[in-house]
Amino acid sequence: MKILIADDSRVMRQIVTRTLRQAGYTGHELVEAANGREALDLVGSEKPDLVLSDWNMPEMSGIELLRALRAGGNAVAFGFVTSEGSAEMREMASAAGAAFLIAKPFTADTFSDHLDPVLA
Amino acid sequence: MSTLVAPFQEDLEAITADVWGSFLDVDGDTPLVAGAPHRWAEHDATTSAVVSITGAWQGHVIIECSARAARMVAAALLALPEDEASEDDVADAVGELANMIGGNVKSLVASPSALSLPHVVTQPGSHQSWPGAEEVCRIDGAWNGEAVTVMVYAGVNEGKS
Repeated sequence: MKILIADDSRVMRQIVTRTLRQAGYTGHELVEAANGREALDLVGSEKPDLVLSDWNMPEMSGIELLRALRAGGNAVAFGFVTSEGSAEMREMASAAGAAFLIAKPFTADTFSDHLDPVLA
Repeated sequence: MSTLVAPFQEDLEAITADVWGSFLDVDGDTPLVAGAPHRWAEHDATTSAVVSITGAWQGHVIIECSARAARMVAAALLALPEDEASEDDVADAVGELANMIGGNVKSLVASPSALSLPHVVTQPGSHQSWPGAEEVCRIDGAWNGEAVTVMVYAGVNEGKS
């Protein structure tokens, strides 16, 4: 499987990569994007099976990315990994078509809980 | 809609402890230890990161730490030796720390509001002022013996019930 990690922080992309490994998701191909616009292009060219995206990014936010994907008819599995985990944000994410929202800080167990149903 | 007008001290302590426990004190032996306010000398090298919240609640969440603490944050988050973290890594790491704490603070205050991207400043000493805002809660901590302060400032019309 191919997973696209979109976050403007290289540090956070690294943490997400490490957490995927700690949660037992080894052997997947990982692709990185530094903002929503880059992620949108990469979803088209790389055709990932799952997008893990930050919410707050320059150029194009995570929610704008998700809405652009769905508006273009792309149904790729999509989950947010963001510092903002309020009920309001979760509702907005779900309404736009996100499968889950993982709030930072997170643990490997949190990743397993949310990713297992998607990657199974 | 949230009913809280400002985060409480215990909220900030819980959020900060959660961030430390997840990423900076995974083994539980290097917690952020609360202590007395740190007095910066004029030439001390410090790194600060701020995220701002705007909208129904206005304020800032600020991390201020020694340059050494900032390098240690980068090293811990990137799982690198301290001397291998670049300046960009350090700015990214401390900014992400502010983003994580700020995002969680935002979840506690009135909505709708928006969280800014982090801004990171390196400077000698500590000479920050936040016009139109006042401190509503603060943690003066030490991490591995290095000063780390976490502050929440609210607009002067916020934070008062």
